[in-house]
Amino acid sequence: MHWGKAWPWISTVARLGLSAVFLVAGGLKITDLDESARAVNAYRLMDYDTAKVIGAIQPFLEIAVGLLLLIGLAVRLSAAIGALLLVVFIAGIISAWARGLQIDCGCFSKGGDLAAGRTAQYGWDIARDVGFLLLAGILLWKPRTRFSMDGLLMGER
Amino acid sequence: MSKGKRDRSAAKRIVEQQKAAERRRRVTIWTSVAVVGVLVIAGLIGFGVLSKKDSTDASKLTTPTVAVDDGTAFAVGTGPVTVDLYEDFMCPICHEFETQAGDTITTLIADKKITARYHPVAILDRASNGTNYSTRSAGAAAAAAEGGKFIEYHKVLYDNQPEENSDGLDNAKLIELGKSVGLGDAFATAVNDKTYDTWAGKVTDTFSSRGYTGTPTIVVAGKQLQGSNGSIPTAEQFSAAVTAAVG
Repeated sequence: MHWGKAWPWISTVARLGLSAVFLVAGGLKITDLDESARAVNAYRLMDYDTAKVIGAIQPFLEIAVGLLLLIGLAVRLSAAIGALLLVVFIAGIISAWARGLQIDCGCFSKGGDLAAGRTAQYGWDIARDVGFLLLAGILLWKPRTRFSMDGLLMGER
Repeated sequence: MSKGKRDRSAAKRIVEQQKAAERRRRVTIWTSVAVVGVLVIAGLIGFGVLSKKDSTDASKLTTPTVAVDDGTAFAVGTGPVTVDLYEDFMCPICHEFETQAGDTITTLIADKKITARYHPVAILDRASNGTNYSTRSAGAAAAAAEGGKFIEYHKVLYDNQPEENSDGLDNAKLIELGKSVGLGDAFATAVNDKTYDTWAGKVTDTFSSRGYTGTPTIVVAGKQLQGSNGSIPTAEQFSAAVTAAVG
């Protein structure tokens, strides 16, 4: 098979995969915005009132990015915004790690401080987020995908 | 094919390519506008949900009249050293701390060495299968405080602490435990009506805004006290901190 023909399919898998990541991450937080605020607060990067606002907005943004990727609208831009979010998350985790905080990253949960006796898994958290960043990278490079709104609007078959 | 015909078909192809490029450009612009719009709307929804929740909470808030520290804690004892204890009734490590240092705290209160301020926070609602045990138990503790039995109720709640990720104690059990320490119908009504559940959220917000993130958080005379390696302090460490605070 020629690579040129395979790319739209590879990109489609990346698009749907990244979409699922954002939908799940947002969906897990949206049910309890108080928890989400505390997860942001646990990073100790801003005062609690700011953390509350960020904690409330973040899950809605994640779900929006997930839905945009799911339908495939402006894939390159959506992927770029997703990548930007991931870079912010990775930076947050690195900063928590560097300051020796013992927190749950709150990536796919509501986060917060870890109970005594549990150790933070920052290395794995970062590796996983870099993996997601790679998916976004594929879409930035080759944004043409199957079953997308973009394809429909461009009149592709 | 004559030369003229070839030129015409080439021109036609170029026009078509230009049209297609124009369409792609238009689609790209408008889908990008749509994406930005969707994200702005999503952000506004998040902000709106938060503001709505804040104002609903403000209207539902009932602060226990006996609460101190801006209405977010219950004081036990009259000693000169203030000890703030932030605990979640679902938190096993809080239970551990109470088991280890509870007697010492009781003695220090009785000897008029400390004033213990209990802040019943609710950060573990996720650990009770959706029954929000942390919030319900904190609200019940507030109702017990109104009935003058905070410390007694605090003790029976820890003695009967449910497992994390169980349903927690149901309201009937919370009321039964209240009766066992001498609380009456007013207490039962407050538990069933969730009178102080919103207040538990306020206590938790105050806790977070002070920069605390885990339970138990133990603060002796304004200074957070931790055991070795960030563990909970032992009874000895706690006494030593109090002695140091007396000066």
